[in-house]
Amino acid sequence: MKWKVLEKSKIPVLIEELTREYEVFAPVKKNSLVSFERVSSGNEIYLGFQNTKKPPKEVFFPQTEILFTYRVGKKGVEIEEHPAPRRKRVLLGVRSCDARSFVLLDKVFSSGEYKDLYYLEKRKNTTIVGLACNHPLSTCFCTSMGGSPFGKEGVDLLLQELNGKYLLEAVTERGMELIEKFPWLMDAEKGDIEKAKRLFEDAERAIRSKVSVEGVSEKLDRMFDDPMWDQIHQKCVGCAVCTYLCPTCCCFDILDEGTNEGKRVRIWDTCQSPLFTLEGSGHNPRPSGKERMRQRIMHKFDYVVKNFGEGFCVGCGRCIRECPVNLDIREIVKKISTWQV
Amino acid sequence: MENLESSIRDIARKLLSDKKVDLIIGYEQGTLPLRTTPCFVDKVEDVQKLVWNASCDANLSKYLVDRKEKVGVVAKGCDARSIAVCIVEKQIPRENVVIIGVPCLGVIDRKKVEAKLGGKEVLESIVEGEQIRVKGEGFEFVLPKKDFLCDSCLTCRHRNPPIYDVFVGEKVPETPEVNEFAEVSDLESKSVEERWAHFKEELSKCIRCYACRNVCPLCYCKMCFVDQTMPAWFGKTNDLSDTMIYHIVRAFHVAGRCVDCGACSRACPMDINLRELVKKTEKIMKERYDYESGLSLEEVPPLGEFKMDDSQEFIK
Amino acid sequence: MKTAEKEWNPKILAFLCNWCSYAGADLAGISRMQYPPNIRVVRVPCSGRINPYFIIKALQRGWDGVLVSGCHPGDCHYISGNLVARRRFAVLKDLLEYLGIEPGRVNFSWVSAAEGEKFANVVKDVVEKVQALGPAERLVKR
Repeated sequence: MKWKVLEKSKIPVLIEELTREYEVFAPVKKNSLVSFERVSSGNEIYLGFQNTKKPPKEVFFPQTEILFTYRVGKKGVEIEEHPAPRRKRVLLGVRSCDARSFVLLDKVFSSGEYKDLYYLEKRKNTTIVGLACNHPLSTCFCTSMGGSPFGKEGVDLLLQELNGKYLLEAVTERGMELIEKFPWLMDAEKGDIEKAKRLFEDAERAIRSKVSVEGVSEKLDRMFDDPMWDQIHQKCVGCAVCTYLCPTCCCFDILDEGTNEGKRVRIWDTCQSPLFTLEGSGHNPRPSGKERMRQRIMHKFDYVVKNFGEGFCVGCGRCIRECPVNLDIREIVKKISTWQV
Repeated sequence: MENLESSIRDIARKLLSDKKVDLIIGYEQGTLPLRTTPCFVDKVEDVQKLVWNASCDANLSKYLVDRKEKVGVVAKGCDARSIAVCIVEKQIPRENVVIIGVPCLGVIDRKKVEAKLGGKEVLESIVEGEQIRVKGEGFEFVLPKKDFLCDSCLTCRHRNPPIYDVFVGEKVPETPEVNEFAEVSDLESKSVEERWAHFKEELSKCIRCYACRNVCPLCYCKMCFVDQTMPAWFGKTNDLSDTMIYHIVRAFHVAGRCVDCGACSRACPMDINLRELVKKTEKIMKERYDYESGLSLEEVPPLGEFKMDDSQEFIK
Repeated sequence: MKTAEKEWNPKILAFLCNWCSYAGADLAGISRMQYPPNIRVVRVPCSGRINPYFIIKALQRGWDGVLVSGCHPGDCHYISGNLVARRRFAVLKDLLEYLGIEPGRVNFSWVSAAEGEKFANVVKDVVEKVQALGPAERLVKR
């Protein structure tokens, strides 16, 4: 039976039982910020948010990750690898847009013959418990980007919030396995499932922000040297807010740090930084904000469409809400789709 | 407010058509309630886009550095002061900028509004005099504007731009007696351990996006210390020690130059109270060197000069 | 942390200006004045050469205390280096203490080339202060 019901009051019990077998990551609220953290009890988690500030990509792709450490020992250079932990994890409370972002990120981290084990091991060992969206924000446009508020892509088990309880829907075998670990979960009734369906329809209707990406990729091909880019980038200050808060942005830098001992770390990087393409010779092919803004838009809506078949935007709206100067990617895409090249 | 808006448009229109400036930088309506966004107008017909309201929070002087063309910029008190600092530091030629000074009674802190609404999204907002009407799904509230102004505005002592080429409207009353350092004094009265614990907690939220640095009009260095390699001053990871050092050094770099426009705190996506740290440098400047930045074009920034009788009680 | 047998001794980084303080330290040595051996000296041409980063970097690297010493105001070999530095140091010190770095970790002094005894006393004073504060932990990068 893939449909179960969980009373909200029973969530701490569920989490408690989960922590016995899994490392559990869930949304936690500290003052005004809701972010995904490792929890050890159900009382810590907070599911009353619309969306978290930081996307959950950091559970698989942390901002700072040690790849290996090295030191000069008696026998010469000693290297200690830091493989991704193989412990089983549950990532709970992920909105459908963010869950979909994992599917997109998978394409980058396991493309062709190059597999990023740091990301993939964590991904492999994690069960995703999604949280369907009853009240999308005005900046949500997941439906324009191939997603949906009750979307199941990337989700193993979907929580759908009804009154006072959650409907659990097992989407994958892994989700089913998880449900079976809690035999005390009650079967869902037909009324619950129908209510959830109505909530889904309401949520989809509530998404008023529509962004058409049709033909945008092809048009961008012809727009590399277009003067439109001169206008768009002007107010951008070149910080990293949009890239760091974007669920599908995954550019990184690798550095060595350390004094007596060294460590090689991977950190988030941003194409909006002037240093991103600064070459050793001193030449920078993207010398100003214009080229960098162009890169961001073309990467998200053109290059990846060619490489992976779809754009790298899940319509979560974080970049729109958090941009210090209210630069709105929806406006840019709209401008492109109606631009006379 | 409406008068000011149409005055700004008139002034912009005149400046452009008289070819006194090549570009006007002002504010236009944002794509979200309670937000405006910087607007770059170079054609007279686009002047209609310009707005002026209590959500005009961005410090537009950020966009003035490194421009060859003549620019007219809409500037509140704090913005005009940061322009003055940039002029004194020779980053903006005085003759290249026409400061359209606008008296400001404070900008709304949308984070305070969001906090008050407990996470409910504002779908529509209208400022009606001293009140803000916010509407969302299933609610409508009227909030007293004065309770939702940015912290930097609550202690503002320069509502009228001290430097300007054109003044829009009438001067507004100032509040010189306000204690702008109350928050800082409060922290100073705590113990060293408490302060450390406090800053450690606040700064641990930092994701090193550098929004604070990038919106600050005084952070105009072509090679910021953050990006320097050979030697690298500190690491780029979000290690807490490196993060705290970034913030300390940035606060030091804006010491004696910061005008407390609040752009850094507003820009921070993680809601870190950055002003708390930087405001201390302002207090140091006031108390040790009797200095307030950005009030005149003839001043020398305090860290660029010295006096024989400077305080040195801390030196053995 | 250190075991009970190994007593912790503070490590102080001292930036001494070449013309006055370094010479003063030298005089202390030549005159066989005793002072704690906990300092490591970095000779700089002038206290004005001190970039606040140096001090902060030292704290990050785990130095328990920092001493910066230069010529007396008015006596700077480069006329005004120490005068410019004085304001810088004031701001840095106040800012660090406000942030929560214990007072006494970062110290400043004016020591002239003739003040060997003063130098020795300054070092004694700083080492005592830092000893009482314990090993540096805040800002130290692990």
